[in-house]
Amino acid sequence: MNPAAREFALDPAAYGLPTRDDLVKLRIWDMHYHGFYGGGIRQHEENLFYVERMGIERMLSLDIAGSPTDPLGTSIPDEKKREMRDYLEKHADRVSGLIPIDPSQPDESCRKMEDWIRNGPCIGIKYYGGNPGGVVCSHPDNNVIIRLAAELKAVIYIHTWMKIGGQPRRPGGDNERGESTPMDVALLAERFPSVPLICGHSGGDWELGVRAVRPHENVHIEFSGSDPHSGQVDYTVREVGASRMIWGGHGPSRSYSTELSKVLDADLTHDQRLQIFGGNLRRLAARIFRQKGYKL
Amino acid sequence: MPREGEKGTTIDRRSFVKAALLPAALPLAAALASASAQAAEPPSGQTRAGPDIIDSNVHLFEWPFRKLKYDKTEPLVAKLRKHRITQAWAGSFEAVLHKQLDAINRRLAEECKAHGDGMLIPFGSVNPAWADWEEDLRRCHEQYRMPGLRLYPAYHGYALDLPEFARLLSEAAKRGLLVQIAMRLEDERVHHVAISVPLVNASPLAEVLKKVPLAKVQLVNSAGPLLGNNVSDLVRDTQITFDIAATEGNGGIGRLIKGENYSYRGSIPVERLLFGSHAPLFPCESALLKLFESPLSLEQLEKLMNANARRLIG
Repeated sequence: MNPAAREFALDPAAYGLPTRDDLVKLRIWDMHYHGFYGGGIRQHEENLFYVERMGIERMLSLDIAGSPTDPLGTSIPDEKKREMRDYLEKHADRVSGLIPIDPSQPDESCRKMEDWIRNGPCIGIKYYGGNPGGVVCSHPDNNVIIRLAAELKAVIYIHTWMKIGGQPRRPGGDNERGESTPMDVALLAERFPSVPLICGHSGGDWELGVRAVRPHENVHIEFSGSDPHSGQVDYTVREVGASRMIWGGHGPSRSYSTELSKVLDADLTHDQRLQIFGGNLRRLAARIFRQKGYKL
Repeated sequence: MPREGEKGTTIDRRSFVKAALLPAALPLAAALASASAQAAEPPSGQTRAGPDIIDSNVHLFEWPFRKLKYDKTEPLVAKLRKHRITQAWAGSFEAVLHKQLDAINRRLAEECKAHGDGMLIPFGSVNPAWADWEEDLRRCHEQYRMPGLRLYPAYHGYALDLPEFARLLSEAAKRGLLVQIAMRLEDERVHHVAISVPLVNASPLAEVLKKVPLAKVQLVNSAGPLLGNNVSDLVRDTQITFDIAATEGNGGIGRLIKGENYSYRGSIPVERLLFGSHAPLFPCESALLKLFESPLSLEQLEKLMNANARRLIG
C-alpha cells in the first residue's frame, strides 16, 4: 500500500463529504471494475492507489480472459491466462473475477465457465456491450449459459444500454450488434425467475431502464458508467427498492467520484447506503464466495 | 454586484496549514465524521480550514426534460452552501430552448438577486446566430450587470466557426465579459427522442481565439472526448480555461494536469482549471469528490477552488 494514498491536503468532511474512514466503514464493493481491461495487471496495480484512496474494499473485475472483440479470449496466450489465474488466486481477498462469455457461442462459453469458475478462481460471468455474433441476452441460445451459471451459483452481470438513434429514432436504436437492453434482461428474467441477474448501467438511459426491469424481482440494477444525474438513485430506490441496487465504480475510465456521488446525492438511510454500496452484492455472491472460501 | 463569497474565501493561513496533510485515518471531530455527508458547520467563532469554493458552472430553473431535486433556487443555494460553495456562476436552463432570451436573462438576474442569498452571479445567454444578438449582449452587460455570458452552441444551432461567434467574442472582450461555452449539457446517448443535438466541434476555437486575443473564454462540461485533438493547441495558443464537471477517470484531475488522463489528448495546467459542478443536473458531490480523489497539493487546490475563478472575473 502506498501511504500517500491516505494523505489529503484538506479534510473532505470540512466540505460536507465523507472522509476516507467514512467510506471504508460503508464496505464498498465495486461491481464494475475495468482495472484489468486489456489483460493489464500493471494497469490494475497502478490503479490500486485510487482504490485505496477512495476506501474501496473489493473490486469485481469484468474483463478476465476476454475482451469485447474476443469475449472468450481465444487469442490470449495460455501463459497470460495462467498469470491472471495466479494473480486472482493470490489476491482473492481484494479482487474477484468475472469472465466475459459470448452468447453467440454458447457451448464454448460453457466450456470457459467450467474452466474458470467451476475449476478456477472466478465467481461470475459478464455479457459485454455487444459480441461478434450479434446475439443479445434474451436469445434462446443463452438458456444453456444461464442454467450452468445458476448451477455454479455464479454472479451474472449483463451490460445494457439504450443509445438513442436509428431510423426511426428510438432508445436502443444506436446500440451495437449484440448489445442487450434492459428489455432483453426482462425477457431473460421471465424465463429464469429464480436466477438473480444484474442489469448493468441501469440501461444507460436509467429512467427507461428501471421501468423495463421493475416487475422482475430477480433483477438487480447496477448503475455505473453514465453521467452522474442528481435524483437517479432516489428514483430507482422509489421504483424497485434499495435492496435491488448494486454500486459499480467503472474505473479507471470513470471517476470514483462520479459514481459515489450518485449515492451520496440521494436521500437514503445509512442502512440503504450500506445495502447499495456492498450489502446487496455480498448477499448475491455469498453462495459462491463460501464455496470457494473467499472472505465476505 | 454583490460578491458575498469573497469575504468567506479569505483564508486563515494558520488554520489552513494546520489542516494540511491531514492523514485521513486520524480521528476527526464528531461533527465532521458523518457518513451521511452532511455539512459540517464550524463551532461559532472558529474559522474553517481550507479555502471556500467558487462554482463556475450551475444553472437555475427547470431542466426541460426532467424534474431535478434542486431546481428551486433556495434549496440549490442551501445545498451549495453545505459544501462550502460560497459563490456560483449561474446560467438559466430556460435559455437552452427558449427564444426570448432577453426575458430569460432578466428573470435570471432577478432570481439571483431575490433568492441567491448573495452568492449567485448571473450569466446570461446570447445566440450569435440570431439577428440583433448585440442588443441581448448589451443588456446582459449594462442592464443586468452580468460579468459573463453562457453560450449553448449545440442547442442554439451554430458551430464555432460561425463568423458572428467570433464577433461576439470580440464584443464581449471589449466589455471585459467572460464567455462560457457549454460543450455539452447531457450525454447525447440519452437525449429525448424528440431532439437531435449535435456535438460541439472544438477544432475552430484555437484559430478563432488567436484573432481575439483579449477574449476571456471558459469551456464548461468539456469532457476529454469532446475536445478531441485540440487540447494542446488550446492550451498553447490561447488563454482558454476549463471546468472540471465532466473530467472523468480515477484520479482524473491529477492525471489531466500531468497529461496522463485516459480521455484527454494532452495536459491542462492547473492554472487553467476551475471548479464547476454542473449542479443541479449533476450532484455537486461529483466535482467536489474529484478534488480529493486526486492527490492534489494545497496550492493546486486553492487555484482550483477559487483563485483561478477570481482571476477570471475578479
